[in-house]
Amino acid sequence: MSTTIQTTTNGTMTRAGGGTVRQKTDLKSGNEAAAAAARDVGFHVMGYFPITPSTEVAENLSQMAADGEHEICMIPGDGEHGAAGICYGASLGGGRVLNATSSQGLLFALEQLPVQSGTRSPMVLEVSTRTVSGPLDIRCDHSDIYYALNAGWIVLMARDPQAVYDMNFAAVKIGEHPDVRLPVIVAYDGFVTSHQKRRLEVFDDLEPVKAWLGPCESPYTALDPSRPVTFGPYMNDPDLINNKVQLHLAQEAARRVIPQVFAELGGMTGRHYPVMDEYRMEDAEAAVVLMNSAAETAKEVVDRYRALGKKVGVVSPNVLRPFPHEEFRRALKNVRAVLVGDRGDSPGAEGGNLSLEVRAALQVDPENRTLVITRIYGLGGKDFDDTDAECFFDLALEAAKSRKVAKRFDFHGAFAGDPGQKPPIGLPVLETAELQRGMVHVKVNERTGLLDVELEPFWAMVAKPNRIAPGHGACPGCGIFPILHQMFHALEGDVVVLFQTGCAMVVTTGYPKTAHRATYIHNLFQNGAATLSGLVEMYHELIKRKELKDAKELTFVMVSGDGGMDIGMGPALGTAHRNHHMMILEYDNQGYMNTGAQQSYATPRGHRTSTSEVGSRGGGKRFHHKDSAQIFAATHIPYVFTAAEGYPEDFMRKVAKAQWYAKREGLTYGKVLSSCPLNWKMGDDDSIEVLQEAIDSCFFPLYEVEHGHTTITYDPDALGRRRPARDWLKNMGKTRHMLRPENAADLESLEAEIDRRWRRLKAMHEHPEL
Amino acid sequence: MTTATAHGPAIGMLGIRFESIGGLGAHAAGQILASAAVLRLGLNGAHFSSYGSEKKGSAVKSYVRLTDHDTPIRSSAPIDAPDCIVVFHTALLSNPVTVAGLKAGGTLIYTAPAGERPEALKRVARTCRVIRVDAQTIANEEKSRPNAVLLGALCGALDALDARAVLAELTATFEKKHASAVPHNTRAFERGMAEGELIQGLACGEGDLPTMRPGPVWGYATAPIGGVIPLPGNTITNNLTTSRTGYMPVFGAEKCVHCGLCDIVCPDYCIVWGVVGDGPVPEVTRMRGIDYNYCKGCQRCVETCPTGALTREEERPGMAARLRVPIFDRIGGGLNTK
Ligand SMILES: Cc1ncc(C[n+]2csc(CCOP(=O)(O)OP(=O)(O)O)c2C)c(N)n1
Ligand code: SF4
Ligand code: SF4
Ligand code: SF4
Ligand SMILES: [Mg+2]
Repeated sequence: MSTTIQTTTNGTMTRAGGGTVRQKTDLKSGNEAAAAAARDVGFHVMGYFPITPSTEVAENLSQMAADGEHEICMIPGDGEHGAAGICYGASLGGGRVLNATSSQGLLFALEQLPVQSGTRSPMVLEVSTRTVSGPLDIRCDHSDIYYALNAGWIVLMARDPQAVYDMNFAAVKIGEHPDVRLPVIVAYDGFVTSHQKRRLEVFDDLEPVKAWLGPCESPYTALDPSRPVTFGPYMNDPDLINNKVQLHLAQEAARRVIPQVFAELGGMTGRHYPVMDEYRMEDAEAAVVLMNSAAETAKEVVDRYRALGKKVGVVSPNVLRPFPHEEFRRALKNVRAVLVGDRGDSPGAEGGNLSLEVRAALQVDPENRTLVITRIYGLGGKDFDDTDAECFFDLALEAAKSRKVAKRFDFHGAFAGDPGQKPPIGLPVLETAELQRGMVHVKVNERTGLLDVELEPFWAMVAKPNRIAPGHGACPGCGIFPILHQMFHALEGDVVVLFQTGCAMVVTTGYPKTAHRATYIHNLFQNGAATLSGLVEMYHELIKRKELKDAKELTFVMVSGDGGMDIGMGPALGTAHRNHHMMILEYDNQGYMNTGAQQSYATPRGHRTSTSEVGSRGGGKRFHHKDSAQIFAATHIPYVFTAAEGYPEDFMRKVAKAQWYAKREGLTYGKVLSSCPLNWKMGDDDSIEVLQEAIDSCFFPLYEVEHGHTTITYDPDALGRRRPARDWLKNMGKTRHMLRPENAADLESLEAEIDRRWRRLKAMHEHPEL
Repeated sequence: MTTATAHGPAIGMLGIRFESIGGLGAHAAGQILASAAVLRLGLNGAHFSSYGSEKKGSAVKSYVRLTDHDTPIRSSAPIDAPDCIVVFHTALLSNPVTVAGLKAGGTLIYTAPAGERPEALKRVARTCRVIRVDAQTIANEEKSRPNAVLLGALCGALDALDARAVLAELTATFEKKHASAVPHNTRAFERGMAEGELIQGLACGEGDLPTMRPGPVWGYATAPIGGVIPLPGNTITNNLTTSRTGYMPVFGAEKCVHCGLCDIVCPDYCIVWGVVGDGPVPEVTRMRGIDYNYCKGCQRCVETCPTGALTREEERPGMAARLRVPIFDRIGGGLNTK
């Protein structure tokens, strides 16, 4: 392949060669390639929810939007289910739609996937593949994508950043083809491809590409009242099966359309993707089937083995749906033994989906005698390098030679363990007496009917052991941990905690270590409240039936970030309405910090986050901060409060009340402003000052709602300490831009909103019934 | 501005590993290096970093693979046996993983003040080049970051890297968003190039260092099912010393009034208390000091202390070990937890 390279003014090289369209060389990760492709396609709408490792697609697009590089309408969903709904709705309007997700996010959206395909609405979904919980693991395997195989979507596999870029154009064209009209997934390996920068070529002239893609045309749209249509009717038998035949036919049509599209695209780019990538398979006796990045690693070993005279090759599909049966049969026809590496298991089936489907494909050919070996490898991000590939080839060669398979199914790279080796022992079990030190004294005030709390001094509180041990991995100066410390000081007796996904969870439980000294549960942040409510009721049920041995009095506490109160709001509200005897504590650090500081609904307007980037075209978050304390107050639970770390007495008093109510009356909710030095972009020791400014600006009022009565517990107006919001905003890197004249509208809008909410709260404080 | 040649120099396959702590800029450095190689020097290259917890202060490895223009890069695996290792934080050297796999003919660059010759480097092959540069101090003096200094030192050490191209890429990276940082970075880079000191006679090992990939402690036959950890609080065996970047809080008992405020704000639960007095005299709880095994140096305690009993001090080697008050004393086989 000959290419000519010229240096452009900025030093980057433009390569013209192979394809008919001008291209330029760049260095991009898979996620950046996906974002660049999205920009170049010019999608109309993106609905998304952040999840590692796919989040960077939206982050990159956010920065590009701020810099004026595209016009895609980016909608942050309240969770992946919501994001998938946003995408579905948008696609019914007849424009081009994009989403990006991984792992649990794909599973949370899964319910919507057959809706999208069953009603034949094309869109593109980037899946940066990641293993599925639990336990939670953020790294790569294919277990997520395997769940999507029955969803009716086209699935394209992208083995490196270049393929990610290219496949996105193909995806649009394939999905919108009138004979296909299906949504398309572009799947690439999480981290390995999503985060690894590689050299690639991107279009340097979009006109021919846009002309090739053409306008987005759909036979039906929800936006044309002159042609009213009903989407998604109620359809039972005898009709549904016919709808599924149509879906099947669309997949069959895709078999024809995909190679055409790949060929057309290849003409423009000079890069040709076959449906089945076959590497040195001409006379191979033994082969390995792998998907995406691992296949590339295996090619290195093929070269080495071929040099030694070993007849081996690699087969890897570029398309997973429709499943390339015929291509597999052809590629493996004369192969004596093939090892299929599955980066995901189907437990109990003796194989992951790939090897089961390869077996099924070969079985159709009565002449085929290929021996098939299955190895589950690379789970949860376990690296796959050339020594692993060698192992696979050796197994296949051995089977090819002996014509026998010693072990049809196994895991590659698992470790049985060494009985002499154990993780370090931690701390002794905390005795109830140690935890019941009388640090707080709660009494019902006879006159008001409300609670009064007295606290022991701080120095006396240190006698009570913390329920979280040191040695956790939070950033220096993280605000979550003083909050937990203060909460635990005020909580008396034994507790069971449930942490929803987020920083507090991740940094305290890196396997095989845990910082928790009390019983701790993690469930994903869309469902923690429901989970804990189930446990609470089991506790009471076992006590009632006298089946709980050595029953102790327990307090149940769920700890969540503000983000958990976006995606998990539904189950949390359900828990509130059922009024279970438990506490919820939200630490509000105004963003999805664990995944790299994307905007949450709690992020105030104008604030910069990694999905509300600021650039020449403005930016910052577009809508106002969510008020979860008021939302829970509206469920009429016995007690709701807000607090901040800088007012420890106030916070601990409120925690004591919350525990009292949780034990006797039902759910309590506390929202605590929690600093994040890293992502608020400030010094590690700036928390107290910045929190104070947030409070004194009335952005975060400290108050409680006890039996429906609102009491402001710190009133900056009354104390003469009220300050303008800009005093707070000027001290964080994430908000400094708001003080610039061009962002005056955001600042004024935020100030007005702060003021409006504060006046409303004061009115409630003053009114005897509120 | 360097002019890119169509096909850069023939360099074979070059593997570079940056060993760092989140927040020191190793990831950005890797990215700048790979971009310079691919976009300015006509090489093929790849760059990625290790990901786990992306919190500030946790260990980060960043990898750069470089090769000739027409050689494809297929492997995406971490670089276990690099040609060059750049260590961003001296404390990392105490962990053998940091230099694992370094090739016998390789290059090792570490950051430390002049005269410091870490024992841990003795294992490195005598045939390796060992280069010291005081990246932290230079970065502070030039109001830049250690990564700019270390990139300079790296270019000074490796012929395959054209320093002008790497500096141009560094400049291009900052020009857009932090234009004011450019002259500082340039000086830091140039000083890194000039002030790298070749350390003779320290490395005295033989051959390639063995590669290391930490394996699991429990396996499927030994781990409790379901991923549970029935070992409460075993993070106490972690040592978070490397999270501190240059400064530590120091406790002066004379000024302390034992109010407990530092304890209320410390995110790392490493303020140590003790009970003084016995018998009929009421017990008094006293602040005794800090357990630096867990202290991340955030200075929140210093900021909060009302009496000045806690002060922010520059951390010198050995200081933490000398001043540390262990929070958990082993007593009679068990642990005394306050
Ligand atoms: C269904 C699902 N979607 C997305 C994620 C990725 N994710 C994990 S934690 C997190 C953000 C949590 O934000 P928040 O609750 O505010 O806690 P913080 O990280 O700020 O501590 C996200 C988006 C996930 N684990 N599962
Ligand atoms: S990212 Fe923010 S909230 Fe998360 S551990 Fe770091 S400082 Fe704490
Ligand atoms: S805050 Fe200062 S005075 Fe108070 S206990 Fe801590 S060191 Fe002593
Ligand atoms: S600097 Fe102070 S507050 Fe921060 S971790 Fe160390 S002891 Fe705790
Ligand atoms: Mg948050």
